[in-house]
Amino acid sequence: MSAILASLAMLLGGAALSAMLSRMARLALMAGVASIIGASIMCLIAAWPCLAHSSEAAPTTLAWPTPLGEARLALDGLSAWFLVTIALLSSTVALYAWSYMQAEINRGPVPALAAFLCILVAALILVVTAADAVLFLIGWETMMLASFFLVSFHHRRREVRRAAWIYLIANHLGTALFVLPLFGMLAAKAGTLDFQFFRAALQGEGRDMTTVLFLLGLFGFGTKAGFMPMHIWLPVAHPAAPTPVSALLSGVVIKAGIYGLLRLLSWLPALPARCAIVMLVFGMVSGCLGVLYALAQHDIKRLLAYHSIENIGIIGLGIGMGMLGQSLGRPALVALGYGGALLHVLNHALFKGLLFLSAGAVMHATGTGDIERLGGLARMTPVNAGLFLLGAVSICGLPPFNGFVSEWMVFGSLLGGTWGASRSAAGMGAMGAISLALMGGLALACFAKVFGVVFLGEPRGRTLQAHATPPLMGTAMFVPAILCAGIGILPGVFVPLAGGGVRAVAGMGVREFGGAMQPILTSVTQLSLFATLLAAIIIVLLLLNRILIKQAGATVTRAVMTWGCAYAKPSARMQYTASSFAWSLIQSFRSLLWPQRKWVAPVGLFTAPSELETHTPDMAEQDVFAPLMRGAGRVFRMIRTVSWTGEPALRAIPVDAGGRARPARVLVAGVVTALRQGRIHVYLAFIVFTLLAVFIMESLSSRPLSAPGSPVPISAPAGGGIDDGGSK
Amino acid sequence: MILVRVIAAILEGVLVLALPPMLMSIVVKTKAWFAGRTGPPWFQPYYDLHKLLNKGAVYSRTTTWVFRAGPIVNLAALLTAATLVPVLSSHSVFGFAGDVILVAYLFALGRLFIVLAALDTGSSFEGMGASREVTFGTMSEPALFLSLIVLASATKSLQLSEMIGPQLFAARGAVGPALLLVVGALLIVLLTETCRVPVDDPATHLELTMIHEVMVLDHSGPDFAYITYGAALKFLLLGSILLHVAFPHPAQSPWIDVPLRVIELAGLAAVVGVIECSMARLRLNRVPLLLAGATVLAALAAVLALTGSVT
Repeated sequence: MSAILASLAMLLGGAALSAMLSRMARLALMAGVASIIGASIMCLIAAWPCLAHSSEAAPTTLAWPTPLGEARLALDGLSAWFLVTIALLSSTVALYAWSYMQAEINRGPVPALAAFLCILVAALILVVTAADAVLFLIGWETMMLASFFLVSFHHRRREVRRAAWIYLIANHLGTALFVLPLFGMLAAKAGTLDFQFFRAALQGEGRDMTTVLFLLGLFGFGTKAGFMPMHIWLPVAHPAAPTPVSALLSGVVIKAGIYGLLRLLSWLPALPARCAIVMLVFGMVSGCLGVLYALAQHDIKRLLAYHSIENIGIIGLGIGMGMLGQSLGRPALVALGYGGALLHVLNHALFKGLLFLSAGAVMHATGTGDIERLGGLARMTPVNAGLFLLGAVSICGLPPFNGFVSEWMVFGSLLGGTWGASRSAAGMGAMGAISLALMGGLALACFAKVFGVVFLGEPRGRTLQAHATPPLMGTAMFVPAILCAGIGILPGVFVPLAGGGVRAVAGMGVREFGGAMQPILTSVTQLSLFATLLAAIIIVLLLLNRILIKQAGATVTRAVMTWGCAYAKPSARMQYTASSFAWSLIQSFRSLLWPQRKWVAPVGLFTAPSELETHTPDMAEQDVFAPLMRGAGRVFRMIRTVSWTGEPALRAIPVDAGGRARPARVLVAGVVTALRQGRIHVYLAFIVFTLLAVFIMESLSSRPLSAPGSPVPISAPAGGGIDDGGSK
Repeated sequence: MILVRVIAAILEGVLVLALPPMLMSIVVKTKAWFAGRTGPPWFQPYYDLHKLLNKGAVYSRTTTWVFRAGPIVNLAALLTAATLVPVLSSHSVFGFAGDVILVAYLFALGRLFIVLAALDTGSSFEGMGASREVTFGTMSEPALFLSLIVLASATKSLQLSEMIGPQLFAARGAVGPALLLVVGALLIVLLTETCRVPVDDPATHLELTMIHEVMVLDHSGPDFAYITYGAALKFLLLGSILLHVAFPHPAQSPWIDVPLRVIELAGLAAVVGVIECSMARLRLNRVPLLLAGATVLAALAAVLALTGSVT
């Protein structure tokens, strides 16, 4: 525990130092990087005993009273698992940022970036170790603000500012509308803000109450995690942020949402199956639509951002199956579902971090993230290409890397977990399995597209220059790459480490959990055998290939052109592009995606310049949230007209196209004009009316409680009234 | 006793590895017989492989190591999968609960590397083939997994050699009609994954209409031998999964089991040859409908199996 405090102190010190050294950007960056790496090591030291021996550190109460109680930190299996995820990725990102940010030193506010990086990591550590609602929310809010400032690093660009605002607004809406009420209800139930009493206080709670709590958590934390349709900030913020920040956002910040959800599940008693079904549906929708949107993107970072939504969907499927296991009372399903979800949290942080950093190296080397202009980078930056390929194979969930292990566990829960259970459970399992299969296929298509178009073939832009990846950046990327391969080859070592987390979420005893986990571990260790077998066969075939060519005395001809089916003058522009590669799939799913296509076809013998442009707008953003926000904006503008006298927001007499005055608008405009005279007595009247309205509402709502003879308990289940109505 | 089993397993393994080109030969012979020709000799695919293995290789100057890795990783993935699929007898070399997912994903790994090797050449033809391959590969995935769900819930196992082994024979009465639908779905998956008519025509003349053959245009020498053999091996593996579902055998002596399976495989190859003779390749934009049909068949089977298993 003291190690965590030390790491927090180290990060705050690093942040302060970076902020103070704002004139010496290089030193400031160094201070930030060093403190993040140091803090990560401390976190790993703190989390290790918790994971390896699944012991729990006693909650530490700090002697600093916060406004609503005391600051408490605690570390259990779940916290430790997320702590390790955070530590591994932030140290990698810090190391990478040291090299990546050198180019920005004279162009952007690098010391501020270093300081906010430290604050972000500290806030993340605080979120996953807080054992007190107030401290958790402080960490949650700090995390959001720090990442807001990090996203707006290139604040001179208009689209970056827009992205940062969308990020801030979406996440604050999620927090204000769902997370705060959730903690309010929890605190009201438990009578305390201390996390350790929540579980006991919620046992024996009615199904409706727990469903409401779960839904609040799902929407609130789901906004952070990026479940569809609350994901709209994700594909906007990731490309706008500098690469190290995108890697952190995608790797660990969205995982804070998953942590919140799992922490909530650890307090709730076994939920009704309908909650699990809701969770599974969210997982399927996020997963399938996330990867389909990813397939349609042209910008490499935006594409990776949509893949984060897909992977959050896979994690959601795992969580949903775990919940289903709890409600069906099947420990094996609980272990597979939650275990797969937790492992995928770590795995996604590793391979998505690797992919973002590698994509950043591409942008660093070429100055563009537009897939259509890239090509042939494997010859110019071979190390980066290899690392990206490793990440791509991992994220597609292919053996022998880590993505396969977690997807294997989730698949196992979907395919085999619901035998003999209810029809709805079995059906959901089957639907989850086919959507996961579809996601796998689409992810493969998507990463074949990215890797094939960016790294293979010939450069599509005629003047594409690329310099080699700086050694430190390459070194930093090797850390997640080695872990990706390590978890894939030795899953028997890593999977048990997630056990403490699963037990914390499901509230299972050691013995029960061990019994459920044993068959899974037996199978998982077999995966090592096949990873080795695959590697061995690859080596044998490679050697055989070499020997055969040598033995035959035949020649290997290298300097020839690609066979263009007898066409003698192929050019780089004739290659398949990313859009054309993905088009047949996009076309097949057009009823889900609504891709837009602008096409000026070549006509005649001497054609005018023709053009083709494809664009796939985000449905949730364009058709749901944009109208909603426009409506809200209109309401706020009206309020502003009332309160602020300087702006003639509404015309005096609104007239529509036909020249006819519309009565309703005339009335509104008249009232508004009357109100915005700036006279004090109007405002006083306003206040009086408002008070009156509040008073009436208050007296109306308190009447049934004060009615004599029939005291109604405050915490009556919401469904009670409906049942009464039915019985009459 | 153990020695006998080991020797039997080794013999079976050798037979499994030797069989795939012969199946291709049967397909070609069937087509020739339909067309009233003699066709190439029975062992022509073996001669072709031998010739290719003794040749040098030509590499385009656009390509990188990914191009060379493609055939090797593809074949390695298929060979690894072959250790988990019961081909001739109802036993596989290895097996563990959940290995069916590993088999499906090993196929996907092979596909990824073939596709990447195609994109590595920078040719628009091969890009086109790669795009079609991932499109149809993705769309056949739901049908495959739905079929696996049926088999898993029928046998209550996630180990491939049990899902399509004697346990399926025991359970066939309960899920009979579902199995029939699964056979239909798996046949379409087989034709898609192995690039056969009506999805792809391996004997067409025009690069614009091909899928698999156009992806491997630039491979030569031993690389191309690996690819040809890999395609045949994939046919064998998927075909034997299909046959194990279509004709579940009870647990019986391998001396009856193995010859029976060899005859069935030959029959399957002949059926594929007949399909190739009797219909034309579908237009490319009709193929998704065929795959959707396979998915619907498998979904229907899954509904039958899952509702049947509950009550």
